[in-house]
Amino acid sequence: MLLQHVVNAISLGGIYALLALGLAIVFSIVGLINFAHGELMTIAGYTTLGALLFGVPFPAAVLLAIATTAVAAMAMERIAFRPMRGASVTSLLLTSFAVSALLKVIFQNGLSARPQPLAMPQWMTGSYQVGNVAIGVGPTISIVISVVALVGLELFLRRTVTGTAMRAAAEDFPVVRLMGIAAGRVIATAFALSGVLAGIAALLWVAQRASVDPLMGAVPVVKAFIATVVGGLGSLPGAVVGGLLLGAIEIGLDAVLPPSVVPYRDAFVLSGVILILLFRPQGVIPAATVRRG
Amino acid sequence: MFAVGHAGCVGNSGSALIMLHAEGIKVRYGEIEAIHGVDLNVGEREVVALIGANGAGKSTTLNALCGLLPTVAGKISFLGTDVTGWAPDKISRNGMALTPEGRRVFGQLTVAENLMLGGAAHAGRAERVRRQEELLELFPVLRSRMTQKAGNMSGGEQQMLAIGRSLMSRPKLLLLDEPSLGLAPQMVDKVFDLIVALRKAGLSILLVEQNVGLALEIADRASVLRGGSIALSGSAEELASSDLVRQAYLGVH
Amino acid sequence: MGKSVRRMSVVAGAIALALGGCGSKHDDSTIVIGVVTAQTGVLASYDQPSLAGFRMSIDEINARGGLGGKHPVKLLVRDTRSDTATTAAAAQELVDEGAKIMITPCDADPSIVAGQVTQPAGVPTLTFCGSSPILPGAVGDMMFTTYPTDNLQAAALAKHAYETGLRKVYLLVSPDTTYTSGLPEYFGKVFTNLGGTVVGKGSFSMNQPDFSVAVTTIRNLKEQPDLIMTAAYEPDFPAFVRQLRAAGVTTPVFGADALGTPTIAGLGELANGVVFTSAGCATPGSKLEAFNQQFNKVTGHLPSSAYEVNGYEIGLLLDAAVKSATSMSGPAIRDALDNLENFEAVTGTITYRGTQRIPVRSVALLRYEGGKAQCLQSVTPAASEIPAPL
Ligand SMILES: Nc1ncnc2c1ncn2[C@@H]1O[C@H](COP(=O)(O)OP(=O)(O)O)[C@@H](O)[C@H]1O
Ligand SMILES: [Mg+2]
Repeated sequence: MLLQHVVNAISLGGIYALLALGLAIVFSIVGLINFAHGELMTIAGYTTLGALLFGVPFPAAVLLAIATTAVAAMAMERIAFRPMRGASVTSLLLTSFAVSALLKVIFQNGLSARPQPLAMPQWMTGSYQVGNVAIGVGPTISIVISVVALVGLELFLRRTVTGTAMRAAAEDFPVVRLMGIAAGRVIATAFALSGVLAGIAALLWVAQRASVDPLMGAVPVVKAFIATVVGGLGSLPGAVVGGLLLGAIEIGLDAVLPPSVVPYRDAFVLSGVILILLFRPQGVIPAATVRRG
Repeated sequence: MFAVGHAGCVGNSGSALIMLHAEGIKVRYGEIEAIHGVDLNVGEREVVALIGANGAGKSTTLNALCGLLPTVAGKISFLGTDVTGWAPDKISRNGMALTPEGRRVFGQLTVAENLMLGGAAHAGRAERVRRQEELLELFPVLRSRMTQKAGNMSGGEQQMLAIGRSLMSRPKLLLLDEPSLGLAPQMVDKVFDLIVALRKAGLSILLVEQNVGLALEIADRASVLRGGSIALSGSAEELASSDLVRQAYLGVH
Repeated sequence: MGKSVRRMSVVAGAIALALGGCGSKHDDSTIVIGVVTAQTGVLASYDQPSLAGFRMSIDEINARGGLGGKHPVKLLVRDTRSDTATTAAAAQELVDEGAKIMITPCDADPSIVAGQVTQPAGVPTLTFCGSSPILPGAVGDMMFTTYPTDNLQAAALAKHAYETGLRKVYLLVSPDTTYTSGLPEYFGKVFTNLGGTVVGKGSFSMNQPDFSVAVTTIRNLKEQPDLIMTAAYEPDFPAFVRQLRAAGVTTPVFGADALGTPTIAGLGELANGVVFTSAGCATPGSKLEAFNQQFNKVTGHLPSSAYEVNGYEIGLLLDAAVKSATSMSGPAIRDALDNLENFEAVTGTITYRGTQRIPVRSVALLRYEGGKAQCLQSVTPAASEIPAPL
């Protein structure tokens, strides 16, 4: 039972980590917490649904969903955030709230007001034995995909010129521009990456819940925000640690709290978050000092 | 020790040798105007020093020239092109590089990564490697530090890296903002030796320095910025012997 | 039904969706019915079909000259976006615009806030399919439920479970709404009275799609249940069965009326064996089947659930009440409705007389097989078998 809980915690934490990373990447570059990140997940969900309805094979539908989400993220930057460049943190935040609310309304009125079933393929369900404990295939796939995504992102950031430029931009964006590197490209890449991460997280999320609805991004984006704050705003390793920590805390509390108290778990989680921030106000792994010229 | 051939060429605009020509540039921070119509020229293979007290507007001027700050008036032309209002990355790709005040190396990145980014927008991978090799001849201290985080190096080493990073773009004009600031004396000498070497190699340099004595020693021409306006311009010798500079900046009474 | 939309961030601001009716002139005989309804958000799955059925009956009634044959209906519809505060504001607007009868969403919480506006105004109010038995008592004598209530549904489900040989139940509740907390409790009560046992009880938070701990707990129960009973609905229910089945647990799951939606049917194999309730069963030759065909003719598609027919029946109930009402005042219509007895509706008879504005009516039990809901039986539990409202 403990092993099962651990697997569940890592699986859930992995999804939170991917989401938190998406928020953190954008924040580290443009200083914006993109609350419309949840709606990117919704876009991924509906794209998968639509593709499957049109008979697109599952693997292609998944790739299409991730690609669409990346493009949507870049479009969001282009249309909503680029005109706001140089605006205060508050205005950016409000803009992202507005984008989020607007997209929700568009999804509700334009796509579907109610949840649509979206069952993942049969092979993603079921379980296998480790010794005499049964481990779910779903959580295992989720963990594997999260790990692959994290490693892929790390390689991108370490090994490519654009990735290196993004890490530099997180530290000192004006100087990156002084090097001749176009700001638009770095920012667009950050949004595209956040879109890819949101897309992957959305698919894992949808695999868990078997339906998509216009508001499906609302809860995860809040979790991701909590994870980034716990980890250290704008710190990428922090986002991963924050996500895993949040997953572990949630599953841990679910497992140990008496059933009558479980529904108030989030109150305990938030108390825990406040406690962590009291001792580490900059988060578990603070971001490198950001200097904005 | 320096070839002096430019005496009397003050304000030689119109000459084919002009690389950078700035005229009447004004910059505002919010409501406050920090520089009030600055004129500057830098010719080919020339070292021009821009001197002045703290807060005179030197950094503001350099930042405006390379596009980091918007100008509210005036005109900047570089290599015969009007670059007023251009984005800093575009100006950089056009051949102007700024090594900003306070070095501003990417502390979380390795030395190699810092150098790589300096050339990323200007050269392919193979060419970057070639340039880096040449640079390391010039900055031997960096060679053993390539895989270290830049933030862990001393101030002098970081300054070398910052200049090296700028040079990776093979600029035609290099703007240096207080390269000796906060460095130990022997490091200051090294930095100035480096500037001399760059100048010999044919690079045009616009140098902002607090160390007015040294700056005037290596510059061809100089301008004095006071309260956001150019108070005096001339050849380095003329300025070094002017009363204003002697009293205000060289501490001679 | 009795859903809550707590925590859902929903854009405030009601949007007038449509002005219903048939553009009749607003003269003295016209009666305005206000409909505050969630056409978007979590409740839309229930309110959309309810409204479709209601519109159909109002259109038919208007074609016959109006309620009671002489009071043409003008419908004023507002979208609440499943937001409780928006519901209250919309209800106030509609009362101000002259609504004489109010229809509220398929959930106790918004129905209560709307009722707090209509009760003092003396406007008879009917919830679409809000099924909490405490709802009429919580608001006052103007408030009526129309759908089989939670305790009634639970009694029918428990009887069916026991009669099919199931003896041990695991209850999964969420305190987030009266529906998700109350219905399994009612079930447990009736099931225990019949001789069954509750082997465990777990809880969940709505809109948190992670059920891994609940599932792990169920898997590792020493005494394995014969069935799992929950009143979870979408999007929580799909997540729950998805994770339950993925963990290899094959125990049958019993739910309630909220599972009668295309979303749940669309789960296909995943929902196999899920038993739930409904207002009626369209057996061949039944009035409900005829209604379904008629609905298909009018709207171009078959009803997606039993909420359409329930909405339709609300129109019939109002028609009957207005016919027998002594005047067109709110209290008079209320009294007439409150005195309806053995009214022949589509799904069976409906009685309000002496029931504290909670209808006595039959409950249909259905089971999903291969993405299709199949009728099991229709049950009318005896009054003694229905647990008292909690
Ligand atoms: N970011 C800024 N915001 C507002 N005022 C500034 C800013 N940067 C510099 N200033 C002001 O502009 C003037 C010129 O500053 P600066 O160009 O940095 O001078 P210098 O480099 O010659 O020391 C000073 O009065 C300084 O206070
Ligand atoms: Mg300065």
